[in-house]
Amino acid sequence: MVSAAMEGFALDGVGFAAEGRTLLHEVSLTLAPGRVVGVVGHNGSGKSTLLKLLARQQAPSAGALRLDGRDLSSWSSRAFARMVAYLPQTPPSAGALKVRELVACGRYPWHGALGRRTARDRDAVEAALQLADVGAFADRLVETLSGGERQRVWLAMLVAQEARYLLLDEPIAALDVAHQVEVMALARQLGHARGLGVAVVLHDVNIAARYCDELVALRGGRLLKRGAPADVVTAEGLADIYGIPMAVMPHPDGGWPVSFVR
Amino acid sequence: MGPAVMVLGLGLLAVLLSAQSLTARIEGGSLLGAILSPSGMGELVVHFSWLPRLLVSWLCGAALGLAGVLMQQVLRNPLASPTTLGVSAGAHLALVAATLAVPGLAGLGREAVALAGSGVAAALVFSLAWNKGLAPLAVVLAGLVVSLYFGALGAALVLFNQSYLAGLFIWGAGALSQQDWSVVLRLGPLVVASGVAAALMVRPLALLDLDEAGARGLGVPLVGLRLAALAVSVVLAAAVVSAVGVVGFVGLAAPALATLAGARTFGARLVWGPLIGAVLLWFADQLVQVLAGLYGDLVPTGALTALFGSPLLLWLLPRLKRDVRPPRMAAPVREPRARHPVGALIAMVAALGVLVLPALLLSHDAAGWSLDLSGALLEWRWPRVLAALAAGALLAMAGTITQRVTGNPMASPEVLGLTSGAALALIVVVMALPGADRATEIAAGAAGAFLTTVGLLWLTRRAAFAPDSILLAGIALGALFDALVVAVTASGDPRAVTLLAWLAGSTARVGSSEALTGLVAVVALGAAAVPFARWLDLLPLGAVTAGAVGVDVKRARLLLLVLTALMTATATLIVGPLTFVGLLAPHLARLAGFPRALPHLLAAALVGALVMVGADLLGRTLIYPRQIPTGLLATLIGAPYLLWRLRRL
Repeated sequence: MVSAAMEGFALDGVGFAAEGRTLLHEVSLTLAPGRVVGVVGHNGSGKSTLLKLLARQQAPSAGALRLDGRDLSSWSSRAFARMVAYLPQTPPSAGALKVRELVACGRYPWHGALGRRTARDRDAVEAALQLADVGAFADRLVETLSGGERQRVWLAMLVAQEARYLLLDEPIAALDVAHQVEVMALARQLGHARGLGVAVVLHDVNIAARYCDELVALRGGRLLKRGAPADVVTAEGLADIYGIPMAVMPHPDGGWPVSFVR
Repeated sequence: MGPAVMVLGLGLLAVLLSAQSLTARIEGGSLLGAILSPSGMGELVVHFSWLPRLLVSWLCGAALGLAGVLMQQVLRNPLASPTTLGVSAGAHLALVAATLAVPGLAGLGREAVALAGSGVAAALVFSLAWNKGLAPLAVVLAGLVVSLYFGALGAALVLFNQSYLAGLFIWGAGALSQQDWSVVLRLGPLVVASGVAAALMVRPLALLDLDEAGARGLGVPLVGLRLAALAVSVVLAAAVVSAVGVVGFVGLAAPALATLAGARTFGARLVWGPLIGAVLLWFADQLVQVLAGLYGDLVPTGALTALFGSPLLLWLLPRLKRDVRPPRMAAPVREPRARHPVGALIAMVAALGVLVLPALLLSHDAAGWSLDLSGALLEWRWPRVLAALAAGALLAMAGTITQRVTGNPMASPEVLGLTSGAALALIVVVMALPGADRATEIAAGAAGAFLTTVGLLWLTRRAAFAPDSILLAGIALGALFDALVVAVTASGDPRAVTLLAWLAGSTARVGSSEALTGLVAVVALGAAAVPFARWLDLLPLGAVTAGAVGVDVKRARLLLLVLTALMTATATLIVGPLTFVGLLAPHLARLAGFPRALPHLLAAALVGALVMVGADLLGRTLIYPRQIPTGLLATLIGAPYLLWRLRRL
């Protein structure tokens, strides 16, 4: 068993450089299960890079990156995929797969190349289809769906993966506001009801403030600020992050901060 | 090393060689004199032979480089080359047919005939892919089918008329020798005009690096642009092929070398591709002339180009950046799905069962057609039927795996190069140990295939066996070995004929032990593929997604490549390389509606087996008492069916 103190992602001075350009400088932070963490920052601030490092899609060029106390590189592929599910910014073409088949791909870390597909796998796929609200077109080809529907299908695949951590790179960029809310509510539900650790890269600070427990702000590849939405989404904080004057007021319904451009 | 350094380096070597070949020929005359007013034997030779040949090597190299860059940009595929659209196969077929019909033709209308053949082939490809808006996948598939079909027709004609066609072998490998300036005067303006046309299209073509929607969104007229660019490269390729024969490797290697040397943008590739093509061919051709002094004038330039281009390609391969290429354009067609996949598979098994009966029992002899129910002939028939079935299934499965792992519809087991490795080992044994028995030959072939596979894996290990690295390395190795094989066969050695029959895919010499080996291999390797089915479903989604759900992508690619190598080597050693089955049976199975990995594998294996057993039956009976090699006939009966399916797509 992993001790509570070790549990989660721990980044210690993690940096990443590619082709002589440093994209991420000495980032140190921890990500614990049961919380939804929003990653915000200007374009090119290193948000996606941070997520790729966490997802082990790229290896850090400096520092130590651990999951549950073990270095990321020491995890086997499948064991890691049982722990961490990752949705890239632009999901690939799904070829001629049907929705249910694509979602079932998420079960690979559990049954592997040889293991039998059990009732447990089928149940997880069905539950994921319902949870992501894509059950209605489970038997259609992924490529025939609209952009928003496709995005939710990929999300369903991640849900079916039943990992302990979800890493979502701009999951709501292609969605209308109703589906944005739906996806973020789903992320929050997974985080709080199922105790998953969720890290979401978001451009919309207001959505981030509304649905995340915690925000991580990056600027120019450095960790700028980390804290509760009310602490990060302030007029000064946003000016720091985006470099333009912004103002904040409390939301009339729940008091969480709402920002707008001045 | 930038592309300029590469051009200068190769150019310098070529200049040194040229100086040597020039001094050997000019016999004390002056170059200026030879150019302006040749007098004396030496200056005349230089004026009418050496100089035009020099210019032809520049022009052909540049033309092929340019055509290759255009073709690869439009078709979004590093395997595309000027001959992808069937140009050289069409020219070859037309030449063979014309030479047989009008034997006196040899010197006179050769170019016109070759040009006509190229044109017919390219026109056929365009018409097949036209209603798909010349989408890359459609063009590539149509090009492959037409190429293979015309190639098989040509090869069949050659096989039955060897004695008349010896000279064509040399043409087939690319011979640049010239007697006057006519070729230069014809090619020169064409290459310049094509270069101008390509330069005019550089901006819209560069936008093809975006995906299809992005390019269209920027106002690129996709169909018109594709037609124009493909037409330019077809014209160039046809002109070169009709003038000097097939120098195929330059068209594929020059764009790849330009990219590897650092020509990142399309504009840069358009400049450096033709230049690299020109110096590569120049260097190779000068070397040929130096060697010709030593070994006679029989080493074809085309073969030598591959001999020097391949190592260069392999040396630069580690510079291939992973995932720098944009995502491939989405499939242009909605792939069909079988409504009752299990039923369809059972029907295919039943069809195979039905087909095996006449394959075993039907005879065609002097007395006409008869069904032999006594079983007397069974003893000789079953090995070849079984071998055909096994080889067809094995290569179809190997092709399916290769295409799924690389995500490239032009990939076949042969692009991994091990077929060529086996062929080379085989020919070495045939030459070095005359009278070696079949077991020795097979052992040699197996060793060749094994060493090639090891080489391929070693060369691409650092790239984590990434698809484009594997394909380029395989192509380079294959071209290298093919060049050696061509050099041997073009020398007209009678022993090469054995190899020619083997290269056409023949079941005639198969014994019972080999047939049983094939059966065991189908069962064992087919069963070994089943556990990998999930990898084969996941890998086409890309390395990121496959990795994110827990596939160890590097290990998966390695194991699948080794499995492919085993399947290909076994099948190839039993009946020879069967391009059609390995390349197109997977497509046939997909188009029949089996997009998922496991049914796709099974359906492809069944299609492969069906085509091969059918081809064996027809090859044995159709033109009794002669036999048509099974591999050739498989293409001749399979290709029309695939053409028909493509039309309906």
